Amino acid sequence: MGSAHSDGAAPLATFAAHKILIAGGFGSGKTTLVGAISEVRPLRTEELLTTASIGSDDLSGLSGKNTTTVALDFGRITISSEIVLYLFGLPGQERFSFLWDELSYGALGVVILADVRRLTDSFPSVNYFEKHRLPFVVAINCFDQAPRYDPEEVRVALDLDPGVPVVLCDAREADSVKQTLITLVEAIAARWSRDSSRRGHGLGRPVMAPRM
Amino acid sequence: MPSGDTWRRRESGPVVRPYAVTGGRTEPADGEVLDLLAVVIATGRHAEDADGTVLTPEHRRILNLCRRQVTVADVAADTALPVGVIRVLLADLMIQGAITVVRQRPAGQRTGSDVLQEILNGLRAL
Repeated sequence: MGSAHSDGAAPLATFAAHKILIAGGFGSGKTTLVGAISEVRPLRTEELLTTASIGSDDLSGLSGKNTTTVALDFGRITISSEIVLYLFGLPGQERFSFLWDELSYGALGVVILADVRRLTDSFPSVNYFEKHRLPFVVAINCFDQAPRYDPEEVRVALDLDPGVPVVLCDAREADSVKQTLITLVEAIAARWSRDSSRRGHGLGRPVMAPRM
Repeated sequence: MPSGDTWRRRESGPVVRPYAVTGGRTEPADGEVLDLLAVVIATGRHAEDADGTVLTPEHRRILNLCRRQVTVADVAADTALPVGVIRVLLADLMIQGAITVVRQRPAGQRTGSDVLQEILNGLRAL
């Protein structure tokens, strides 16, 4: 066709897009956190309902409903003229965990927001990202009424590796969220330098998503 | 995908509606599923000139957003259309040569830790 942009001559990227995930149980403050540091927009996906959701969703009278709309929290932080950081809030409910595979693909790391009143809600996220060897920090969201916990108590309760940072975070405060993200990126750097065979991980992301 | 007998009356509404703008297609025509952070840009070629295909309003909105480099996720958020729908519509435009996926810049001397350091500097400066 004589196109100016055949495959071999596609234009060069003007910026590199990097991804950080925000995980945590339902109501742990993910939307608040993303909104505190970036413009937050909903990102809609259509997902097939799996058998796992049959028990938890009231589907009576909806026998024809095979997909459901999942809205993810989606934020964008311009780091420099060449780097843009994208934040994706992972849907907390376990029945959406199949979405985690796609969203984790190529991610730099994860902030797991923990609510000390419902610490067990953090277990699925911690287990998932330990298993997939994605660097993460646990951020204890300081809700007003929540009892103050020592981060070390939370570390023990969640059975975390010594290298996993546990921080206190107020998801409403931009500075607190910023500090949490800095702690995460420092943890990612530490992981990468420990694991030199994986140095460069997160760069040169493939263009195609994994087939689900 | 739903079997034939589920596509009936109002029960089918929630299934059909998001994909109405794709003519019911749920798979990209080229079979490739673009990553959420793949970056695309319009090539400047007018898709409808290529083979007389008429673009839908959604195709035009996407093409308009792609006048500068944008990620697939940005296109979905800016149009408020589901990611699956956007992937189908982007594939249509790619097949017609109206948009293309940009190439990542070669890393050159920059290592992964250089990039992380730049991210740290950027976060601290926020």
